[in-house]
Amino acid sequence: MLQVRRLMVFYENMLAINNVDLEVPPERIVGVFGSNSAGKSTLMYTLSGIILDMRRKEEMAGGERITVAGEILYRGEHIENLGPSERARMGIVLCPERRRIFPESSVLDNLKIGAFLATKEQARSTLEFVFSLFPKLREIRRRPGGFLSGGEQQMLAIGRALMAQPRLLLLDEPLMGLSPLIQFMLMEAVKQIRQERRISILITEQYARPVLPVVDEGYVLEHGSVVLRGTGQELLENPDVTSAYFGV
Amino acid sequence: MEIIVYGIVNSVSLALMALGFTLVYGISRLPNFAHGAFYILAGYLAWVGIRSLNMGYIVSVLLTIFVVGILGMAMYRFFLIRVRGMPISEIIASYAMGLFILEALRWKGLKGMTFTLPVIYPGTIFLFDVPVDYQRLLVVAIGAGIVAGLWLFTKFTRLGLALRGIAQDEQAAMMLGIDSDAMATVATGLGSALAAVAAIVLLPLGNIVVEAGYQVLIFAVAVCIVGGLGSWAGAILASFIIGFAQILTVSYMQSHFQVVVALLAIILTLIAKPSGLFGRQKQLEERV
Repeated sequence: MLQVRRLMVFYENMLAINNVDLEVPPERIVGVFGSNSAGKSTLMYTLSGIILDMRRKEEMAGGERITVAGEILYRGEHIENLGPSERARMGIVLCPERRRIFPESSVLDNLKIGAFLATKEQARSTLEFVFSLFPKLREIRRRPGGFLSGGEQQMLAIGRALMAQPRLLLLDEPLMGLSPLIQFMLMEAVKQIRQERRISILITEQYARPVLPVVDEGYVLEHGSVVLRGTGQELLENPDVTSAYFGV
Repeated sequence: MEIIVYGIVNSVSLALMALGFTLVYGISRLPNFAHGAFYILAGYLAWVGIRSLNMGYIVSVLLTIFVVGILGMAMYRFFLIRVRGMPISEIIASYAMGLFILEALRWKGLKGMTFTLPVIYPGTIFLFDVPVDYQRLLVVAIGAGIVAGLWLFTKFTRLGLALRGIAQDEQAAMMLGIDSDAMATVATGLGSALAAVAAIVLLPLGNIVVEAGYQVLIFAVAVCIVGGLGSWAGAILASFIIGFAQILTVSYMQSHFQVVVALLAIILTLIAKPSGLFGRQKQLEERV
């Protein structure tokens, strides 16, 4: 589905992603774990193409120079130079860090904006799916996005990304700042999404405990480099991972 | 009573002038300083259509709105896109474009009192004992119609929803497959077309003169700054504040203070609340 080879990202001279190889097979859930500033969000922005927009804006404003090198292959095609909306059209949809809900639009409108790429039929059936996945969203569908709690916002962000008909869903820190109960519920939803939509999912997260049981494969990122790679089970049993990312 | 009736008419006129400007800024963060030029250009094109080419009123007007919309899109696609993201350059580039259009029109002979657009329906009626001509009532009706139309457009159409998305969080919208440059092209086209509509309903009340182009720009900028850049609700509220203030100065002082009121409104807003009445420059960043 997605293959990343020797990916490097620099902000000026700071190395944010260092020689990362990563693979997301079809219909698999892959996790990327790492602490603050390990490069998780940079990785996600690079995969979704948002980094190209950031680079253009920095260039225009005369700010930081952003350099990207390496290969990103999606279903066998090179996509390094495609912009974010083109990648979204191909099926790579990012559900960003901090959710970035449209605050003035209602929950329903947020989902409708998400359906920009969907046909009418797809939009209707996906909306039903999102409401069955998160029944809470149906109850609050008229409320403006800015008035939702963190958990509700995260459900909406995932729902909105699903409306864009992803084939590879990128979830950037979906559990950040949420209660254990909601974290558990969201991970159950992620499993259900994979099962019913038959898509690949890449999740990044700082706190690995709720995510590890769900992933087929996981990577541990430190200072931009992959230091460990293994199946979910292997990582669960690895003492280094346990001490570093379980917060025990 | 007179003040209320004419205050409303004047406020809606201001809103019509400013809507296109605030729409483009709200969606794409592009200050389109060629807005006033498109307004006058639309008046001139409609005049050419009606008076020189004898195309009939309806055809000329529709064609004008369409052509000005296309010109707006072209201006973004081939010109402003190169300076996108550099606010000062955006202002200079679009203002240069506006200067070029306006001064080219002046050079082609657009001056004096000879250029007027016909009113759609001549005549006057009395509203609460105040004489109002039908054209001014039409201004209010079309202003209300445009606001309602824009609301429906951004609520129920795919394109309108996409514009709302880009307006609120550009990158989040890109992640969903909405292309920012395409939407900015649509937005400038729509904004210019709105300037054309405003010109066609407002210009019959006066002459088509180049100076009005600069004045419209000043009014549009004043309304947007007072209302909070990019906020539609703010723009409409600000139109009413400035509109009534202008009518009050006309009644109690002299009529040439109108522009002074607009400029004073900018200054007062920048002193008291720089983000404007409905400004949202900061609030988004504070939420986590």
